[in-house]
Amino acid sequence: TYLNDFWEKGRSDGEEQSGEQQQQQQQRASPARPSFGKKQLPSIPKNAVPVTKPASPAATAQLANGTHASYGPFYLEYSLLAEFTLVIKQKLPGIYVQPSYKSALMWFGVIFIRHGLYQDGVFKFTVYIPDNYPDGECPRVVFDIPVFHPLVDPVSGELDVRRAFTKWRRNHNHIWQVLMYARTVFYKINTMEPLNPEAAVLYDKDVQLFKSKVVDSVKLCNSHLFDQPKMDDPYAISFSSWNPAIHDEAKERMFTHKRRPEDHQKGLQVSGLSWVKPGSTQPFSKDDNPPQS
Amino acid sequence: MMASMVANGNRDGRQGEALVLKGVDPETCMIVFKNHWAQVVKILEKHDPLRSNTSSNMASAVQNYVEHMLFLLMEEDAGQAGAMGPILEFVVMENVMERLFLWSLRRQFTDDMKLEQLKMYEMIVGQARQPLLHHKPVLRPLMMLLSSCSGTAGPEVEAELVSLLNQLCCVLAKDQSVLELFFHTSEDQGAANFLIFSLLIPFIHREGLVGQQARDALLLIMSLSAENQRVAQHIAENTYFCPVLATGLSGLYSSLPTKLEVPGEEWHCLHREDWLQMPTLVQFLNSLEFCNAVIQVAHPSIRDQLVSYIYNGFLVPVLAPALHKLTLEEVMTTTAYLDLFVRSVSEPILLQTFLSFILLHRHENVHILDTLVSRINTPFQLGTVSLALFQTLIGLYCEDVMLQLILRYLIPCNHMMLSQRRVVKERDFYSVSAAKILALTPSCCSPEHSPPPLRQLDSILWSKGTDNSPNTGPLPPPLCKEEQEEHCQSPIYLDVNYLHYLYNARLGISSCTRACQVWSAPYDGEDPPPEEYQPSALEEAGARGRQAQTVNPKRSHPHPRPRPPCPPQTTDPAPTNQLELEWDDSYDAGPVVSPEAATAESSRPPQPPAAEPPKHIQEMRRTAIMLVKGSYIEESDFQDDVMVYDLVAKKDEDHFKVSSLQEKDEVPLSNGLSLPLHPTNMEVNSSEVIKGSKEVKAHVEDHNSNLQSPLATEVGDDLMDQYEELIRTLGSDEAGTGGSSPVKTVDKEFRNPVVTPMEEDEVDFSSFSVDTPELEKQHLSLFGTKLRSGSTKSHSVPFTGPFVSVLLSRLENMLDNSLHVNLLLTGILAQLAAYPQPLLQSFLLNTNMVFQPSVRSLYQVLASLKNQIEQQASTKKDFPELITSAQHCLLARESSLKGQDTNSGDSRECSPPEAGRMMKSSPPPQPKTISLARTEVFATVLFTEFLKELAAIAQEHSILSHVPMEE
Repeated sequence: TYLNDFWEKGRSDGEEQSGEQQQQQQQRASPARPSFGKKQLPSIPKNAVPVTKPASPAATAQLANGTHASYGPFYLEYSLLAEFTLVIKQKLPGIYVQPSYKSALMWFGVIFIRHGLYQDGVFKFTVYIPDNYPDGECPRVVFDIPVFHPLVDPVSGELDVRRAFTKWRRNHNHIWQVLMYARTVFYKINTMEPLNPEAAVLYDKDVQLFKSKVVDSVKLCNSHLFDQPKMDDPYAISFSSWNPAIHDEAKERMFTHKRRPEDHQKGLQVSGLSWVKPGSTQPFSKDDNPPQS
Repeated sequence: MMASMVANGNRDGRQGEALVLKGVDPETCMIVFKNHWAQVVKILEKHDPLRSNTSSNMASAVQNYVEHMLFLLMEEDAGQAGAMGPILEFVVMENVMERLFLWSLRRQFTDDMKLEQLKMYEMIVGQARQPLLHHKPVLRPLMMLLSSCSGTAGPEVEAELVSLLNQLCCVLAKDQSVLELFFHTSEDQGAANFLIFSLLIPFIHREGLVGQQARDALLLIMSLSAENQRVAQHIAENTYFCPVLATGLSGLYSSLPTKLEVPGEEWHCLHREDWLQMPTLVQFLNSLEFCNAVIQVAHPSIRDQLVSYIYNGFLVPVLAPALHKLTLEEVMTTTAYLDLFVRSVSEPILLQTFLSFILLHRHENVHILDTLVSRINTPFQLGTVSLALFQTLIGLYCEDVMLQLILRYLIPCNHMMLSQRRVVKERDFYSVSAAKILALTPSCCSPEHSPPPLRQLDSILWSKGTDNSPNTGPLPPPLCKEEQEEHCQSPIYLDVNYLHYLYNARLGISSCTRACQVWSAPYDGEDPPPEEYQPSALEEAGARGRQAQTVNPKRSHPHPRPRPPCPPQTTDPAPTNQLELEWDDSYDAGPVVSPEAATAESSRPPQPPAAEPPKHIQEMRRTAIMLVKGSYIEESDFQDDVMVYDLVAKKDEDHFKVSSLQEKDEVPLSNGLSLPLHPTNMEVNSSEVIKGSKEVKAHVEDHNSNLQSPLATEVGDDLMDQYEELIRTLGSDEAGTGGSSPVKTVDKEFRNPVVTPMEEDEVDFSSFSVDTPELEKQHLSLFGTKLRSGSTKSHSVPFTGPFVSVLLSRLENMLDNSLHVNLLLTGILAQLAAYPQPLLQSFLLNTNMVFQPSVRSLYQVLASLKNQIEQQASTKKDFPELITSAQHCLLARESSLKGQDTNSGDSRECSPPEAGRMMKSSPPPQPKTISLARTEVFATVLFTEFLKELAAIAQEHSILSHVPMEE
């Protein structure tokens, strides 16, 4: 099983490098939702014909609310981008997420379980973030296929996240914590107030049966790995089997491109100046001559 | 025919000749050559020019033969294995060239003959197919010819000489083995060593082609010096190359106009179009560019020497006084020049030289930087030009500059409440600061009030992503109630203009962040550690540092030459002891400093300092008075800096009072540096500047350090103490002036938005649980205030530095500033805000930060501006209409600026556009013409845009500054 090219790359460079596939998609469906790394805003040339169609009554109504109404979406968007940069920073083991193309409020994810009862499980999930974030409820995590687990709803696939985040507090709670929690659940099984009572009871009473059920569930999930993504979104995570024509080169680049993203654009390199000796705050305190650039 | 060909230097003619010769076998050529030579020798022997009068016929006959011979020589191929061809061998054996040269020397050696000979050599050196210069019989007469041309000669000869020298340098650059020969031949002659080089020096500063060729040739030698120690050593130790180059700058500078005729009020810096119109400035820039190039390619010893001469021979003795001339126009002009120079220099070491001059040099005991900063506040064009200079400086991404301007005042973190230190590095997850900044948008400018062409709305797909959400869907998104059924995919309308700001902010921050990777510290409130740089410690260290700088100002400008003559800093380009010079009186350093200026400088009697306050003080006084008379003074919190200037001026008026206060002859300055006005000390300083010789200097420096060490301890007196002292003494004067304008009252609530409205009694302590981290902060800060005000009151009035104060003061006056001043101001502030250093970022953009009550923040100033604007809007009926006109006008201006690079100076009236692209696409609702004199209207529009710009920067910081750089 190999990860899809574009997905792996998206992760490997943190944000900057998106695979060709992704880029094509971006071009095709241009402005609205840029990927994170290329967070470039839709290019609307200044000389473009401005949209002159009259604002819909709804839009006008929103604008009347003052600056917050006008800029609110920007604040939300940037809050979510900030959350995403935090996730990247955390380097959560075995967890990968990607905001969807359509909305910053919906993130696609996949989690790899590397040991324990759920070893070898690869579970795709979606994170739904309330649109009054960060002042609303905690984000929801829904598995594509309901994993057999005491805290996962056997019908909807939703993980009981709320028990860990009874009240979502801005500045205090972050989405990476939710992801972290989603991972922990598979290593430390909790059977209190389960969403899947059957699983809870089995775990407490008949671990062997529980284990075999889990193995079946993992098998089931993995057998659907190559299915089309549940959601029709350009940034949905999709898996495909190894195709040397596509993946070899991508893999190659992944391992060679450990450099900083900005090294790619040598032409734009702007070099600052400093003659301050580290540990000093005196200008021109460096003993040696200034570095030649 | 051939003669004319040579005389005209016609190379195309040679092609024909070459073709003719192609078929001819070498033996025939040799025979012809020998033949010609025999004829020539006959004439030479018969007609010794000293005895008989050589007829011009004979001369031209010789000329004719010679030219033909030279063609043959040129066209000859080298023999096998690099051996000489037969003709060349013959030339060497018979010493043909030298005999020819001597013959012409014995005749009247007129310019024409020199020209002839030079052309001859230029031709064979440039076109021969085998190396000729390796052979002494060729090289020696060439050298003799060159030295004979070094005297006074006509412009034609000079041009030809330089052209030949240039060619020789090209040969040198290709074939270094010739270099040795050049040195050796010179030794044979007992003349100076590296003749070619020395001959070029006088042409360094020439204008036109000659100068260019000479500089190109010199550059070739410079890059040679980087690899060849001997050349480097020779140039550094035995030539006057560096002093000539550096003092030449002084000379050229003195011929620049001392007052610029500025095209209009809007003008603030010398653009290319401007200086191309000024030949003297072009010439200066050529020479500066040459210095830059030399520093880039030359050997470090030459480089260091040159840099040192530029510092001590141009910047200190010429530019520093020029920055302190008496009239505003002159000072403004110098400032514009300085700005242009800094922009023209690219080589880091040269830039460092300029920057250390600006940042560290003291003229009449005041740092140049302080003087420049204080001038920002002059309401004349000088203020604008000074702003432009700082825009340039900030744009360098130079740590040293930012340290001196701002960071060193922020490092101690005294500008914020103690509890806030941990907030410095915190990121603004939810764009809270951006929201607070945008919330200051004046109601008359809020997005919904602008008509379509001004408010570029575009539909942005903003879906909630709820389409496939299972079971419990989120709340119906408020933004698209209408289309709830359709799973909420409706576009909403956003301000496209703001997207541009975000995009630009991203570009600006990323390039700044990248540039700052070479900095020594992150400036995040932890590194450098604030504890180590508390005012007292800082000042001591600063005093020590300054002392070190004073004692050994040459530390970064080494003086490697053991016995350099002093850089002839002023008039006389030809030192008196000509005998020692390797090039003679042809030394031409270009235009020179006027003798009057020089004598004035050196012969000025050491004035008792009390007699007349130093110029900068006078100027500050002027500034301060203007400010007092102007509107600034009405702002109660203006005291920080401008008051200080005012005070300085007042203090200065009564010098004795100062003396009694300070017990020393020191005048405190706003930046906390004291001015030791010790007469002896001053005298020593000026003599140091004037005398250049190292011995003298070393002596003086010794002297200096003795003098200064006792003073230095006093200099170490706490900056804040002096500052406070000033404030206190002023307090009584000031108490009366504070009228209660309505603006001020409204203003108050913005001063300390968090602390003030909250009475301590009202604080609900139960709320300070982990659940409410923000409130907790507030609480701590309240506590912090009390604590600090109790214990450290006497010590420090927090001060964020004169630069920030002056910027904010000017910004505060935004409604009265002209459009271009505001453009510059907001530009600089935006530039500063893009810096990624958390200290700077938190100070400028973090609206949650709780500062010390005496510290004015950007947000406070913006808030007070908003109030002023709202007031204006409420009292003037036609305000909204005017706003619309101004918006159209600015839009038109922007598109016309984009269309044409230069802006025409005439822009008193701002009329509706004809070329505005945006306007074309949608019919504008008849914008009225609005005069630029309505500054408050333009300022309002600009203010609104500035808020967006700042908010966008704040938003981008919340993401960019936290993206891990490496993965």
